[in-house]
Amino acid sequence: MSAADIELREVRKSYYKDRLEIPVLQGLDLEIEAGEYVALMGPSGSGKSTLLHLLAGLDRPDGGSVRVGEAHLESMSERERTRWRSRHIGFVFQMYYLVPVLTAQQNVELPLLLFRMSSAERRERVGTALDVVGLTDRADHRPNQLSGGEEQRVAIARAIVTDPDVILADEPTGDLDAKTSSEILDLLQLLNSEFGKTIVIVTHDQRAADRARRLLHLDKGVFERDEARQASSAS
Amino acid sequence: MTLGYILMQNLRRNPSRTALTVVAFALPMAIFVAAISCVVALKEIGESNAKQLRLAVHDKTTLTNGLPERKRREIEALDPDRKRLRAVCGMRWFGGRVPDEQNTLTSLAADVDTFPVVYSDAGMTETDVEAWERERRACVVGRAIAEQYEWSVGDRVELHSTVPPYLALEFRVVKIMTNPSVANYFFFRRGYLEESLKEAGSENPICNVFWVKCHSVEDLRWLQVEIDRLFAGTSEATKTEDESVFKSRFTQAMGDLPGLMEAMAVVVVVIIALVAGNTMMMSFRERTRELAVFKAIGFASGRIFAIVLGESVLLSLMGALIGIVPTAAILLVFPVRRLNYGPISSLEVSSDAIIASFAIALTVGLVSGLWPAIQSLRLQTTDALRRVA
Amino acid sequence: MALPLRYHWLSLFARKTTTLLTILVIAAVVGVFGWMMGFHAALRDSLSVAGDSRKLIVIKRGSTAESNSAVSPEEFNRLHQLSDVQVDPETGERLISPEMLVQVSLPRLRDGGATFANVAVRGVTKSAFKVHQNVSFAGNRTLGSREVIVGRAAAEQFGGLEIGETINLGHGGIRPYEITGYFSADGGPMESEIWGDLHSLMNSYNRSRYSSASLRLGDGADAKSVLERIEGPAIQLTGATETDYWDGQAKWIRIYIGIAGGLVAVMSLAAVFSIANTMYSMVAGRTREVAMLRTIGYSGGQVLWGFVIESVLLSLIGGVLGCLACGAWLSLVGNTKDMFGATTFTTLAFKISMNWRIVLASLILVSVVGVCGALLPAVRAARLEIVAALREP
Ligand SMILES: Nc1ncnc2c1ncn2[C@@H]1O[C@H](COP(=O)(O)OP(=O)(O)O)[C@@H](O)[C@H]1O
Ligand SMILES: [Mg+2]
Repeated sequence: MSAADIELREVRKSYYKDRLEIPVLQGLDLEIEAGEYVALMGPSGSGKSTLLHLLAGLDRPDGGSVRVGEAHLESMSERERTRWRSRHIGFVFQMYYLVPVLTAQQNVELPLLLFRMSSAERRERVGTALDVVGLTDRADHRPNQLSGGEEQRVAIARAIVTDPDVILADEPTGDLDAKTSSEILDLLQLLNSEFGKTIVIVTHDQRAADRARRLLHLDKGVFERDEARQASSAS
Repeated sequence: MTLGYILMQNLRRNPSRTALTVVAFALPMAIFVAAISCVVALKEIGESNAKQLRLAVHDKTTLTNGLPERKRREIEALDPDRKRLRAVCGMRWFGGRVPDEQNTLTSLAADVDTFPVVYSDAGMTETDVEAWERERRACVVGRAIAEQYEWSVGDRVELHSTVPPYLALEFRVVKIMTNPSVANYFFFRRGYLEESLKEAGSENPICNVFWVKCHSVEDLRWLQVEIDRLFAGTSEATKTEDESVFKSRFTQAMGDLPGLMEAMAVVVVVIIALVAGNTMMMSFRERTRELAVFKAIGFASGRIFAIVLGESVLLSLMGALIGIVPTAAILLVFPVRRLNYGPISSLEVSSDAIIASFAIALTVGLVSGLWPAIQSLRLQTTDALRRVA
Repeated sequence: MALPLRYHWLSLFARKTTTLLTILVIAAVVGVFGWMMGFHAALRDSLSVAGDSRKLIVIKRGSTAESNSAVSPEEFNRLHQLSDVQVDPETGERLISPEMLVQVSLPRLRDGGATFANVAVRGVTKSAFKVHQNVSFAGNRTLGSREVIVGRAAAEQFGGLEIGETINLGHGGIRPYEITGYFSADGGPMESEIWGDLHSLMNSYNRSRYSSASLRLGDGADAKSVLERIEGPAIQLTGATETDYWDGQAKWIRIYIGIAGGLVAVMSLAAVFSIANTMYSMVAGRTREVAMLRTIGYSGGQVLWGFVIESVLLSLIGGVLGCLACGAWLSLVGNTKDMFGATTFTTLAFKISMNWRIVLASLILVSVVGVCGALLPAVRAARLEIVAALREP
């Protein structure tokens, strides 16, 4: 049970298209405490994914600093960030991105293969992760034998199996119906409340946002609003 | 927007794949054109030999045993009216080498009177024949040899025999033979050889082979049986063979390169078919949805069929072009006969071989595009649109 | 290797057709390669057995091989002047073997006798068995005047050479000789020969001259200086160590192998391109999977390795298949082959077979092909912009 706090200072990020600068993040400041549950909203193209990618160390800011726990990501090499990411970040994608040829169990096991770990220990951890997401009985199913919600749960199991400090989810319910969405959100909430993970979730879904203790509105590269709220848990 | 335009756009869409496919197709194609040239050339030589209607008569146990020269008259006596048999030419192996060279040339001493008739593929004109008959030391030389040693008509050349008693003789080139079937031969007058042997004190007029020229295939079959029957049971029993059978002894003994080339040609066709088929499958799979859109907006099935098939054919032809043209050019500039390796010395790229290679490429293109093209006909628009690439 | 092999294996077969077609391309190339290696190895083994550098083959000046050499008995006797020749401890004689080489045309069993091969018949005396040390023959070494013994390779490949059969030799082929035994020569060229008594054969062929002489050098004797003496004014013959002799005879064989090797090289290159093509498509089809792996902490290097491993796996399957196909071809269609020496006009028979060394060489070749083919696509995968790939629809 570990968690990390997050601190962004003056973060700038632009993309270039045909030498034309497209500024995405323009001097962003943000502090997230360890164990916080933050929802990130904003219109499409406002830079939410970009921000998440910066937090995961998938990309580097053009300026400013990004600190997650002990790690100062802006000054780390790609190799260092990759290694760091495998230990400290769990990432959940909108489209799940499971490996179609592997079973649920094997998919969950993937991040563990980067660690020096006995296969018994790996099996135990995978078992625990699948248990947390409630898919123990689907361990040997392939992604195409699972429903969308189940796939996303496998993806979440994969994100938590390494016991990361921070879980980042980019529109995890974007492709799911309302009922399944709420199951996924319950699960994330559980990870936050039971296991104390720092969670940043990007969403367009107001109900998803409602569950967060803090809601950030991003628009045109700056925070428009930053609401702290009482999480209406399991409303 | 023409079909051709769509085809070109499709090929340009994934340029690395197009390039890889074309190269993977071109390389085996290069082998194919060489292999098929070899096969075609040997076939042509075989046909030209067959047209010559010649039989080879030699000692039953081995070629190296000579037969006495009087055998010629005995063979001729089988058909005194010359109804079946046109002429008999005795030949004796000389095994000459150009001084200080390693290669033993296929050099043979031939009967002066009948050689121009029996070896009409030497292509001797009346003046050539005149020179051949006039000049005691006359020799006619195949083009491969003449090119290798830079000989031309009128040159004095010297060969050292590699068989006892290892004579060194001087010759005068009266004719250069261009026909591929004799490009590696060196013929001279047997009389000259026998006289020189006599001077050297080893008189023993023998021939290793008697070439019997016949009037027709039936005559050839008849003579083949009759000649062997004539000498059966004597100490000079003979074996009479078709020219092609006789020559296959040598190609076989040199590793059967024609056989290898034929096998290679087959392997190559298999490989290019797989390469082309593979690309078409990949390209089709990636484009299923797009083709469905074409269909949805009202493209006729036939057109879609043509788009898929056309791409495959175009790819194959491009690969063929890139493989065939440089290979053909190389073979033209550096003729393989320079290697002086019997079985391929006749390898020259013929238009037949090039046409055959393109035909194979076209066929492969059609066949490998066929399966995806048929799939495209079956394409259910709605299904395909739903399918996630 | 971070990712489990199972993952690569399964990913390969997620696209069955493409993978299968590529495997078949590789199998075809490896099949040909295996055959060629087998051919090369068989020849090399055979010729290296022949390569006895302590043995000299003496022939007439101006001739190129034993088959066109004629050495008179007087010339032969002059060889006894040589002091550097090994002495037979039993008889006290110098180990010089007079030999006569002729040829007989025999049907090839491989094509049911449709074609004929020129098989060497060697007339020998007892001393031949001592000079040619790799020849082993269990029976009586003093051959009867009407009997011959047959090398094992010849017996296997040419017709009419069973023990007890008779073979017609001599001028005109009218002297029957009975085959009384087989000999072996460690697979060397002599195993393709037929041996009989020297004087009987010379008589049958109306010959008064030998073809050649073989002699064994004494301990410490220098081949070069002995050869100089043989070529010198006192003896006036020529010769070569057996190693050099066969090296010279192998010219056509080398050209043949050169051609076959060139063809295999071109085809291997084609296989590289074909694999590259397949791997590019693999990478393209799995961009998002790669992005996911990178996101959960796999490094670019690990991804690169992954694709290389996949490609090598693919190639190895093709390689194994190709070796099997080649083995099947050899055992079903035939594995015998024979070739002329460059100037001997006699046949060297040998057997092509798959052995572990060839299989290993094939698998190594195919792995190299696999690595080469995967390299560029794998680098592309490793360099993938994760962020961009995650954004792809
Ligand atoms: N690789 C890129 N090249 C150019 N522009 C990009 C690239 N990636 C993202 N952008 C632009 O950056 C902006 C923010 O994108 P993103 O972070 O994905 O927004 P969101 O997730 O909020 O929808 C968008 O306008 C997008 O077009
Ligand atoms: Mg986004």
